[in-house]
Amino acid sequence: MIAFEHVGKRYGGRFEALANIDFRVRRGEMVFLTGHSGAGKSSLLRLIMRLERPSRGRVLVAGHDIGRLHASQVPFYRRQIGVVFQDHQLLFDRTIYANVALPLEIQGVEPREAARRVRAALDKVGLLHREKALPIELSGGEQQRVGIARAVVNKPALLLADEPTGNLDPQLSADIMQLFEDFNRIGTTVMVASHDLALIARLRHRVLRLREGRLVADEEAA
Amino acid sequence: MSRQEVRETRRGARSQRTRTSSRLRGWGHHHRAMCLDSARRLIRYPVGSLLTMLAIAIALVLPAALWLTLDSARLLDAELNESATLTAYLASDVDEAQAVRVNEALQAHSAVAATRLITAAEGMAEFQQALGLTDALSRLDDNPLPASVVVTPRDASPEAVSVLAGELEAVTGVADVRLDLAWLERLRRLAELGQRLTLALGVLFGLGVLLIVGNTVRLAVESRRQEIEVVTLIGATHAFVRRPFLYSGAWYGLGGGLLAWGLLTVGGEWLATPVATLAESYGARYSLPRLDAMGSAVLLFSSTLLGLLGAWIAVGRHLAEIRPR
Ligand SMILES: Nc1ncnc2c1ncn2[C@@H]1O[C@H](COP(=O)(O)OP(=O)(O)OP(=O)(O)O)[C@@H](O)[C@H]1O
Ligand SMILES: [Mg+2]
Repeated sequence: MIAFEHVGKRYGGRFEALANIDFRVRRGEMVFLTGHSGAGKSSLLRLIMRLERPSRGRVLVAGHDIGRLHASQVPFYRRQIGVVFQDHQLLFDRTIYANVALPLEIQGVEPREAARRVRAALDKVGLLHREKALPIELSGGEQQRVGIARAVVNKPALLLADEPTGNLDPQLSADIMQLFEDFNRIGTTVMVASHDLALIARLRHRVLRLREGRLVADEEAA
Repeated sequence: MSRQEVRETRRGARSQRTRTSSRLRGWGHHHRAMCLDSARRLIRYPVGSLLTMLAIAIALVLPAALWLTLDSARLLDAELNESATLTAYLASDVDEAQAVRVNEALQAHSAVAATRLITAAEGMAEFQQALGLTDALSRLDDNPLPASVVVTPRDASPEAVSVLAGELEAVTGVADVRLDLAWLERLRRLAELGQRLTLALGVLFGLGVLLIVGNTVRLAVESRRQEIEVVTLIGATHAFVRRPFLYSGAWYGLGGGLLAWGLLTVGGEWLATPVATLAESYGARYSLPRLDAMGSAVLLFSSTLLGLLGAWIAVGRHLAEIRPR
């Protein structure tokens, strides 16, 4: 599903955020990406989202070299991957329902069909009863779940999450991870960046470890 | 290919088709939603929206008013052309009885519609009245003015009139024929100058409208920056991001056009009476031009188009700058 081939990423032509990253993720796998702050986790995910292009090497997603996608194709590529952001990236002037419906609105899905899918996604994260609320009225954990519902509303084959449990208590973090596992169980490829080492250890999935922009360990699922 | 596979392919084709048509409906729905949403946003900030529209209206009123005035000047020109006359000055040694005979001779000409004899005395009286110089001239012992005949031609076209002038000059007793066309020619030049001026002002003020809408939309883009970043992150195309701003640009343009239309109508009413009175004092029938249905349509259409264009330029410039973090 994802292949990094000797990928390097420099910012501003000097600073090397990633160097010689080489790994593959199979379809249907669940992978954790870990490492200290500044190790390059977000940079790696941004390469997959095509928010950045590699300075060296190739990034392949579903067999396509996404560094070579034309700018006009990028939106259509992004619609095929679901992304959960650490800072949610919710729109605070819209209801929970409208936030989750956003990807469908962008893709021009009919309102009736969209309503069905939005409710299904909200139901999955246990927030169906809050659909008319505004993001402000929700707790941090609930906001994160809205972000997850938005990421999966389009049933993407690939789900990326950057520090989805960043500042949540252990119980909430475990719940969120449980959600990702559920999506993985129905065939979604999942990649989660996190430095919650205790939680990662407990979940027994493959772990990619970064240090100063290099891939220093690739531990297969126990 | 097995039967199973064929069935699968067919089903695939069908679902592809329904997906396309439902996408199209979804797209139409989004246009409708953005059209209404952008209108709602304008209404939410009525004062700001109204100020922008008023600025657009003011920029539109001047060229529109000039254009209307020129249009009516063309009508006036046509009317003046019909009233074109020639003046035949009789030789100074022609006495009053002879003048009457010359007048009759001119009237008999086949190309002449009517004549009016102005005797030397009448000419003097008219002259004095026009200039208000009664004292100065009355002191002159001798009347220096010749008698004259004002001739109205049947055919008022410039060519026919100048041919007639040549023929009238040959009539005995006529010293000189003057065409009263020079000032008409001058008026036409003025009208042409006015046309160019209107065009230049139109272009200039059209640019002004672009700038006004562009600036307003630039601020709107700036205030919705986070939203733009988010939708770009989850796969919005430029067209999708642009859409609401284009609609608000078009609304600003339309609103400005409507206000301009109102200003022109009210202004026209306000000026109608003094203009009519003034025209009457010159013995002319002239009423201020009004925007007809066609003119109104052109005004509203072009203002909407200008709003749309201004928004397009502003959003295009800013989308390039906004990159999701
Ligand atoms: N746009 C950018 N311009 C310049 N340098 C950048 C940019 N983005 C990231 N970096 C640098 O690249 C390095 C890796 O950053 P990255 O955000 O990928 O780390 P991270 O592993 O996600 O860290 P954290 O756990 O704190 O989120 C950092 O040193 C950062 O300063
Ligand atoms: Mg990070």
